[in-house]
Amino acid sequence: MRKPILLFLLSCLLQAGLFAQTAVSGRITDKNGEPLIGVTVAVKGTNTGTSSDVAGRFKVQVPSADAVLVFAYTGYQNKEVAVGNATSLEIQLDETASLINEVVVVGYGAQKRSNISGAVSTITSEEISELPILRTEQALQGRTAGVQVTQNSGSPGSALTVRVRGTGTINNSDPLYIVDGIPVDGLDFLNPNDIESINVLKDAASSAIYGARGANGVVLITTRSGKRNQEGKIRYESYFGVQSTWKKANLLSAEQYAILSNEAHIAAGVKPLPEFSNPAALGQGTDWLDALFTTAPMTSHQISLTGGSDKSTYSISGNYFNQEGIVGGDKAAFQRYTVRVNGTHEVKKWLNIGTNVGLTALTRNGLAENNEFTTPLVRALNMDPVTPIRKADGTFAYSRYSDTDITNPINAIEQTHDRWRSNRLVGSVFGELTLAQGLTFRSAYSVDATFASQGIFFPRFDLSNDPVLSDAPAGEKRLINSVVKNDNTWRNWQWENVLSYQKTFAETHVFNFTAGTTALYNFHEYSGGANTNLPSNDPDDAYISNTIDPITTQSAYGGADESALNSYFGRVNYAYDDRYVVSAAFRMDGSSRFGANNRFGYFPSLSAGWIVSHEGFWKGDLINFLKLRASWGQNGNDKIGNYSFTTVVNSGQNYTFGPNQTITNGSVSLRAANPDLKWETITQTDFGVDMELLQGRFNFTGDYYIKNTSDMLYAAPVPLTAGTEAPVRNVASVKNTGLELALNYRNRDRAFKYSVGGNISFVKNEVTSLGNGGEPVFAGRVQSANASVTKTEVGQPIGAFFGYVTDGIFQTQQEVNEGPFQNEATAPGDIRFKDQNGDKIIDENDQVYIGNPAPKFTYGANIDFEYKGFDLGIFLQGSQGNDIYNATVRYDFTYVNRPVSVLNRWTGAGTSESEPRVNLSDPNQNARVSNRFVEDGSYLRVKNVQLGYSLPASLLKKVKCDKFRLYVSAQNLFTFTKYTGLDPEIGAYNGALEAGIDRGFYPQARVWLGGVNVIF
Amino acid sequence: MKFSKLAMLLALVLCLPIACQKDFLDRKPLVGASEENFYRNAEDAVASVNAAYAALQFEISPAGHFRWFWGDIMSDDSNKGGSGDNDANELLQLETFKGPTNTDLLEAEWLADYEGIYRANTVLERVPAINMDATLKARILGEAYFIRAWFFYNLVTVFGGVPLADHVLAPSEYNLPRASADEVWALVESDLRKSVAALPLRSQYAASDLGRITKGAAQALLVKTLLWEKKWSEAQTIAEEIVGSNEYQLVSNYADIFTQAGENNTESVFEIQYMNASGGNWGKNNANEGSFTNVFQRARGAFGGFGFNLPTDDFVAEFFKEGSEDPRLKSTVFRVGDAMGDRGVFTLDATGGFPHKYYAKKYFNNRSEEAPFGDPNPNGDSNDRVIRYSDVLLMHAEAAQHNGNENAARQSLNLVRKRARGANNAILPDVTASGTALLDAVYHERRVELGLEGHRFFDLVRTGRAQTVLGALGYVEGVHNMFPVPLSQIQATNNAIKQNPGY
Repeated sequence: MRKPILLFLLSCLLQAGLFAQTAVSGRITDKNGEPLIGVTVAVKGTNTGTSSDVAGRFKVQVPSADAVLVFAYTGYQNKEVAVGNATSLEIQLDETASLINEVVVVGYGAQKRSNISGAVSTITSEEISELPILRTEQALQGRTAGVQVTQNSGSPGSALTVRVRGTGTINNSDPLYIVDGIPVDGLDFLNPNDIESINVLKDAASSAIYGARGANGVVLITTRSGKRNQEGKIRYESYFGVQSTWKKANLLSAEQYAILSNEAHIAAGVKPLPEFSNPAALGQGTDWLDALFTTAPMTSHQISLTGGSDKSTYSISGNYFNQEGIVGGDKAAFQRYTVRVNGTHEVKKWLNIGTNVGLTALTRNGLAENNEFTTPLVRALNMDPVTPIRKADGTFAYSRYSDTDITNPINAIEQTHDRWRSNRLVGSVFGELTLAQGLTFRSAYSVDATFASQGIFFPRFDLSNDPVLSDAPAGEKRLINSVVKNDNTWRNWQWENVLSYQKTFAETHVFNFTAGTTALYNFHEYSGGANTNLPSNDPDDAYISNTIDPITTQSAYGGADESALNSYFGRVNYAYDDRYVVSAAFRMDGSSRFGANNRFGYFPSLSAGWIVSHEGFWKGDLINFLKLRASWGQNGNDKIGNYSFTTVVNSGQNYTFGPNQTITNGSVSLRAANPDLKWETITQTDFGVDMELLQGRFNFTGDYYIKNTSDMLYAAPVPLTAGTEAPVRNVASVKNTGLELALNYRNRDRAFKYSVGGNISFVKNEVTSLGNGGEPVFAGRVQSANASVTKTEVGQPIGAFFGYVTDGIFQTQQEVNEGPFQNEATAPGDIRFKDQNGDKIIDENDQVYIGNPAPKFTYGANIDFEYKGFDLGIFLQGSQGNDIYNATVRYDFTYVNRPVSVLNRWTGAGTSESEPRVNLSDPNQNARVSNRFVEDGSYLRVKNVQLGYSLPASLLKKVKCDKFRLYVSAQNLFTFTKYTGLDPEIGAYNGALEAGIDRGFYPQARVWLGGVNVIF
Repeated sequence: MKFSKLAMLLALVLCLPIACQKDFLDRKPLVGASEENFYRNAEDAVASVNAAYAALQFEISPAGHFRWFWGDIMSDDSNKGGSGDNDANELLQLETFKGPTNTDLLEAEWLADYEGIYRANTVLERVPAINMDATLKARILGEAYFIRAWFFYNLVTVFGGVPLADHVLAPSEYNLPRASADEVWALVESDLRKSVAALPLRSQYAASDLGRITKGAAQALLVKTLLWEKKWSEAQTIAEEIVGSNEYQLVSNYADIFTQAGENNTESVFEIQYMNASGGNWGKNNANEGSFTNVFQRARGAFGGFGFNLPTDDFVAEFFKEGSEDPRLKSTVFRVGDAMGDRGVFTLDATGGFPHKYYAKKYFNNRSEEAPFGDPNPNGDSNDRVIRYSDVLLMHAEAAQHNGNENAARQSLNLVRKRARGANNAILPDVTASGTALLDAVYHERRVELGLEGHRFFDLVRTGRAQTVLGALGYVEGVHNMFPVPLSQIQATNNAIKQNPGY
């Protein structure tokens, strides 16, 4: 690798001779004569250039009278002007609708969109700021084809599931996030208002430059910076919103509950409960969901300052964000303060330095979410309606009927004190040397350090009427309080060195070379402790040393882990005459996570594009731009755990010795090490087309890809001769194929401006191998059936639902006798399960695939209007063809509430063909995993509607204000879905194998919001 | 910028990270010992051999593979039992020699044996490099050789030739094919010889080491191995070394052997330790120290057991062969009307709808002996008496008879009978027969003395009597003397492992 670089360095040094210089100056305006600030002025074929100042003025040295100046400005058409003998120029630029000249951030560089031969999607700051969002991932939802984003929970600050081009592995499928060149885990620290652009590298050719980390896509986030010669701007942005639930589940009233309880007792041969002898007297009862949901505020204030001199740029911002939850209110609140300082300075003609630093202090209050055991939601959905929220004396009531997990949800929230505080610094400093014309060397050192502490307090409480008698069930009292403290530190650093060279030969051959190295080190340490019995029951007094119990009852624990990455990479871009573009990249990654026998991975890629519309034969009246592109590449997924290659010696393999049979420790490692362990490899081929019609008003991008994951990590069962558990090995594979289409129409010529856009993504996912023997993986255990819901096996998509199929209800004993045998207790009114193999016995062999949590396609659409200061934006987002397994009803418990659909139960021959009889004990296992609980999860959501008004510029000029905009918006205004649960947007939980299972997911809020943007 | 600066810069960019890369990328776990940094001292060595001992306790991995499944149920001594034909139906199919090749039970046997072998191999590979007391190291290696031999002994007697995993297998070696039975026997023999040479006598161990493998245990298993190999002369010699060591003595009252007090008694040669005091669970590789045998063999219904291993009429009749009832029957079989310890009297009505005439008694435990907390079922406390001194004496008698030393044979045999008859001189007179009659007397004695201790089926196969005795049940010599290799293992190795003939 070294030699070619030296050679071309030499060649470029030879070229970097001295030029005869003359100065040209001028002024750049738009068609209304307003000065354009920050227009790039370049001398064609050289690296010389400048940009226009606040008055639109520029001054540039040109080598000769033959020189041609190129003026480029985002949103305007490029203009080339031959200098000739002129020393002063008046330049007017025309607006364009075209996006092909926009500059797109790619890995370790930036490229003009027209010259990109890979598949890269961009999300602009305008699109990001349209939605009031907490986490940056939310901005990706519905905005780009090929990126599927699902909110895992509506709880503020909760992580999202992001999948670039399908689920690439049964392990960790999250993309790599790079913020200003720094790889980061988790985006909750980042203030979305600070973001300038997000670029998603989707195909392997684009992401191969990230090698072993790029397999599941790369999300490049660039934060705002100032521009040279830019007048200082002060920007204030603020909004306030109110969140509330948009849907409630229909559950039984107390009267209905009592009626069904009586029936269920009788069916089981048990005497009904005496207090339910007159159900009508119980009336409506408690609406637990109504009691659970609250309206919750969300607020954001941001002030930012940007600008630049002829040598420096700066961008400084501060933000306060606060969001409470619609379940739990401040018990689920997320609060964040961020400060960001980005700046650059030209120290010497040949040296630029800069820094990007972001500081975040966040607090998140944790409420149990997404499980069937302890969440307030599952409790509210299952708590009987007979029990009141509070007793007559005002204290919380407890249920006489509900079992273990289902306790009073309102009290449970009250008793939750779980606070996570984290301080995070993500920052870098860099220096950029211009070594010769077109040749730069950049070195950046960055740090990502997080210091987080968590405090959990379990207060004393007792819902019993009489604390002495303690008659409340175990879940409704805690007689001894306790405190837990956890500390986490993450310390990561990265040092990157990149050499770039750009050279144009004979005006038509444009070369870009990039080569560099990275060293990255991650370290995580945790420690914590706990103790019981505090004299004070006030959460503010909850410290371990405040406990009464002796020090010997304290528990303490701690540990650490680390990883390191060392990489070398290079890329060559070549464009011929703006007609043919070719790009080749290569990366070599050495990682401590890989086994000793596979310490380094090698990731090549190749892509090519043909800009057909730049050919001489092209008659571009209708289609003004057409590019065909193809790419191929390989990259890796290194999210395989830090030490999977080795094995830890397990103690506790005991035996007893001695006359008193003393248990004596034995130690052995129970899993084999795998020194061959390596990354998961993705090989992806992509075919794409980019097209613009009607002078850029209409643009279209389409991509088809085949993405094969091989070497997927899986502990495939091994011959038992091994004597140990199967080592994790690179044995499995998955294939994703997909089609992505994006269309936009923009008309900005008239006073009434509008744009309409949409994107749609189809993905097909299939497991192609699970290694030797191919034993399937079962996952997604749900408590209501006490069984796994998903099965992953060769030939099927990852994590498809697997279970029995219902075939109506047994109406008579004769039907039971004649039907396939289910079990001894099957009776009329029970579900008839389908005898798939025709052996007349319903057993595990009659389970089949009953649903797929992956959508057939996902889509997004936006419509924006602008007229005389008014703007209206509508953003839709949806998912089609995905199934949801509804596990929110705890059928494993006898006395819990049920959805109103149970009112259609079977009560005698001919009364129901779908809803089985009620019975205390469910002897037929009607609640087993079956298609009875699989629902269509498709939805279309009006994600955002925003109406704004900007005061006219003429008025604002008087107060020296550039912009003053007021707006109102509604988020999640409408959701169209057949799903009966609280929210159809259900992501993956516990990894890729458990997607689309509703365990009482925290639903998303509907938000009404008003805001103001001021720039001056 | 001049060229020299550039070159320096390039050197910096490209070389600096490389210079430190070797250490930079080498990251071992910071918490917990990895294999590389365990095995440092005597304590680690002891812990590693203890883990191999733990494998001796495996009975459900995750399906059952009790020694009495193969030794007793497969023979004419007992039937499967349980809650009917569907309860562990595979066991019924195996017992009637219908030969299913895909049973969880045999797969579990295979798995547990190889887990034990892996653990012993780990000791044999890791411990020699540890800098520690040489005597202790030699002992630990001797224990590991025995444990490896024991699991290969189980494999070769159940399956015949098996993959000879005589070291910790690398993932690339997992598809190891089967070795011949002779090769496996050779390894068992050589491991046991090393073990005999390295291990101390029972009396030389500290009291706190009670339960560890002794020289006597290794010698006894070696005698058994030599009998399988029909090496009569050496078998007799080594059996006599055990006798001559004066380490073992028959307990006076046969009925005491299978009581709690009878654990690790003077005639205990090789005994797998189980206890009832830990919170056990039903998982594989469980950390509990208890046995499942107690609950599996106890009668159902009021006795809270699963009712497996039901003695046959033919087995009970063996105890009456000499005219009167052999007193050992009382300690071996529950009959209707017997008190089942503190759990009540055995009546047909009390067994929960499974009115069998006989239940196995040797691994019966009283309610008062159950685990004080947790699930008692996986926490049975009866030690598994694998080799008792009377077995050694009977093996000696058998070998001596083959060697023509009939006096020596009769002497050993009559020692066992003498203890059985106790004070009652009217029964079980000394055997005076010779030739085949003497051999038959030894065989009879084995059946009644060692009944329901997991020996019978293997004794029949080993002595060539299986076709005669079990033929009526479906046994075919040349097929059923070995159980089928688990089908899953043939598939998992892509047919590198071949099935036994006849299956």
